[in-house]
Amino acid sequence: MIHVKDLNHSYNRDGKYAIKDVNFDVAEGEIFGFLGPSGAGKSTTQNILTGLLPLQEGEVTVAGYDIKHIKNEMFNKIGMSFEQSNVYSKMTAKENLDFYRRLFDVKTREPQELLDLVGLGDKGNIRAGEFSKGMKHRLTFARSMINNPSLWFLDEPTTGLDPSIAADIKDIVRMQNEKGVTVFLTTHNMYIADELCDRVAFIVDGDIKLIDSPRNLKLQYGEKLVEVEYFDNNSVVKKSFSIIDEKDKLSLKKVIDENEIQTMHTKEATLEEIFIKVTGRGLI
Amino acid sequence: MKLWYSYLKELKLSSKGFYFYIEIIMTLIILVLLLFVIPENYSPTEEEYLSLDLPKAVEEYYLDEMLEEDLDGKVEKVELELDDEVIVADLYETEGQEIYIIKDKEDLIGLTKADRPRIGALISMDSETGGIKYDYYIQGYESDRMKNLYRIINNENIEGIIADAEGIEVKELQVGYEQLNTRQNSVPALITFNGSLMGMFIIAAYIFLDKQEGVIKAYAVTASKVWHYLMSKVLTLVTVTIITTMMIVIPVMRTQPAYWALLILLITSAFFSSSLGLLISGFFDNMTQSFGVIYVFMMLFMLPAISYFIPSWSPGWMQAIPIYYLILAFKETILVNGDMQFVMLVSLGFLLGGGILFLLANNKFKKNLAI
Repeated sequence: MIHVKDLNHSYNRDGKYAIKDVNFDVAEGEIFGFLGPSGAGKSTTQNILTGLLPLQEGEVTVAGYDIKHIKNEMFNKIGMSFEQSNVYSKMTAKENLDFYRRLFDVKTREPQELLDLVGLGDKGNIRAGEFSKGMKHRLTFARSMINNPSLWFLDEPTTGLDPSIAADIKDIVRMQNEKGVTVFLTTHNMYIADELCDRVAFIVDGDIKLIDSPRNLKLQYGEKLVEVEYFDNNSVVKKSFSIIDEKDKLSLKKVIDENEIQTMHTKEATLEEIFIKVTGRGLI
Repeated sequence: MKLWYSYLKELKLSSKGFYFYIEIIMTLIILVLLLFVIPENYSPTEEEYLSLDLPKAVEEYYLDEMLEEDLDGKVEKVELELDDEVIVADLYETEGQEIYIIKDKEDLIGLTKADRPRIGALISMDSETGGIKYDYYIQGYESDRMKNLYRIINNENIEGIIADAEGIEVKELQVGYEQLNTRQNSVPALITFNGSLMGMFIIAAYIFLDKQEGVIKAYAVTASKVWHYLMSKVLTLVTVTIITTMMIVIPVMRTQPAYWALLILLITSAFFSSSLGLLISGFFDNMTQSFGVIYVFMMLFMLPAISYFIPSWSPGWMQAIPIYYLILAFKETILVNGDMQFVMLVSLGFLLGGGILFLLANNKFKKNLAI
C-alpha cells in the first residue's frame, strides 16, 4: 500500500536533512505505527506521503500512485486525520462534513452516521467553534473517514481525549482495519501503538532505527522473568524468577506448590522501554 | 462542481465573518459621503484682501464698479481679527469671489500673512507712468505659473491677450462628451478604493484565517485541486466587490453608466487585486507578518486616486501603476458616451495580469501546503 525508498527531505535544501534515507513498506490491511519523539521526522514523512510536502529525493508510492507526479484522484482513496483539529469554526459539525464530502469523486458516508460514530450525534447543528478541543478532534477524526478511505493516515488520533473517548477511537480504528483499511499511525504514544499496530517503526532524528512487530520487539528486548507475590509465614513476599534458568524454574514450581500465590505476572518490556533501549532517547 | 461547492461555502463563511461587514460598512460610509457630504457641484470661493491708495475719484469709480458686480448690490461691514485687534473691512461678494477692502496697508499685509490661503493686493497710482499699479502680497509657495499670471494679469495688453486666446480655433475630437458633476466625478476613485484595495486586503485576511484554522491542509488532502480553493476565494471577493460597488454606483449614477462594461471591469480588476492578495498571503503565515507588504501596495495603489483629485499632480511614473488606468476606465464606464474601447483594453490588461498573479499564487500554495 505504501512503498518508501531512500527518502530524504531538507526544508531549506541546505544539506540539513529532516529525514535521511528512510525506507519502509506498508502492506495492505496492516496497521503501521510510526513512533518517535517530537521533531523526529514523523510529520515530515507523513506530509510527503500525503502530498502536503513536495518529494525531493527518493521513491514513494502511496495506494499505487507515484508521489512524484501526484494525481488528485489518489485522495479518493486516502483519509487523513490531523493532530491539530482543522475544521471551519463558523460552520456546524454537519456543515463541515457536508462540505468535505462534496470534494471527493467516490461514494461518501453520511455525516450523521460519522457524527454518531464519534459520539457527536447530537451536536451536528452546533458550530464547530463552540466545540471543546476534544470534540473538534473527534470531528477532524470523523471527517477523515468521509470518503471511505482504503489508506488511512492518523496523526496522534487520541491526543487530548479522555480515556473513554480514546478507547472508542481505538475501537473505530480496529473496526475499520477489520474491514480491510490500511492504517498509517503516527504517534509518540507507546500504548496506542502497542495496542493497535501490527508493526512499528522507531524514528529518531530523521533516521529509522528499526521496524518490527511489537510482539517480536518484546520477545527480543524484554526480560524473560516471572514476578510473583505470595504469602510466606503470614507475610507477603515478592520475588522474580527467570523462565530460562533451570534452577529458577524449579524454585518457581516450589513456590507455586507450597505457598498461596497472590499475584503472578510475566515481566514484559514496554514499547517505551524498548524504544529507549534501541535509540537511547525517550519518546517525549 | 467542486469549485461551485467551495464557492458556496466561501460565500457562507464570508457572510458570517467580520471582514464582510467591514466591507459593507465602508461601502455605506462612502455612499453617505457621496450623497450627503460631497456637493453635486462644488465651486470654490476665492478670498482676496485689497487696499486702495488711489485718488478719491478713482477709488470711488473702482468701488462702484465692484458694487455692480456684488451679488446683492450692497456693501457689508465686517470685522476681521488680527493679533487681538479688530479690523473693520468692506466686503464685496461676487460670483466666485469675496473681496475685503482694507483701509490700512499694514493691516492688509498682516491679514494676508495670518490667513495663509489668501492673497492681498495694494492698488495705487504709479507716479512714473501715471497708470494704476498693483502690488501683490502672496504666500510664497505659489507655482511659477501662478506668479507669472499675477505679472501679466494687469498688463495693458491683457485685452489683446484674451482676444488672441479667444481667436484660437478649438475642435472637439469627441462630440457628445458630457462632464461629470463633482459628486459623480468622485465615484471612480472611491469605487477603486472600495473594490480593489479592500479586496486585496480582505482576501489576504481570509487566507490567514484559514491558515490559522489549518483548513488549507484539510482541503489539500481531498480530491479537489488547490486552484479550486484559491479560485473560490477570488470568486467570493469578486461577488462582494460587485455588490458593494453597485451599492455605491446605482444610487449616485442611476441609469447613466454602461453597466455591462462596469461589470466586466469590476470582475477583471477584482480578479487582479484578489490574486495579488493571494500571492502576498502565500509568503506569510499571518496578517501581522504580511502587513508591511500589503501596506506598501495599498499606498502605491492610492497614489493614482490622490492624483485623480489633484490633476496638477500627475507625474509620468504614475502611469506605471495599474490602478491609474483602472480609475480612468471606471470614469469612462460612468460617462455618457464613454470610451468603451479603452475600458475593454484595461479589462483585458487586468484579466491577463490577474491570470499571471493567480498562477504564481497557485504555484506558491502548492509548495507550502504543510507549512
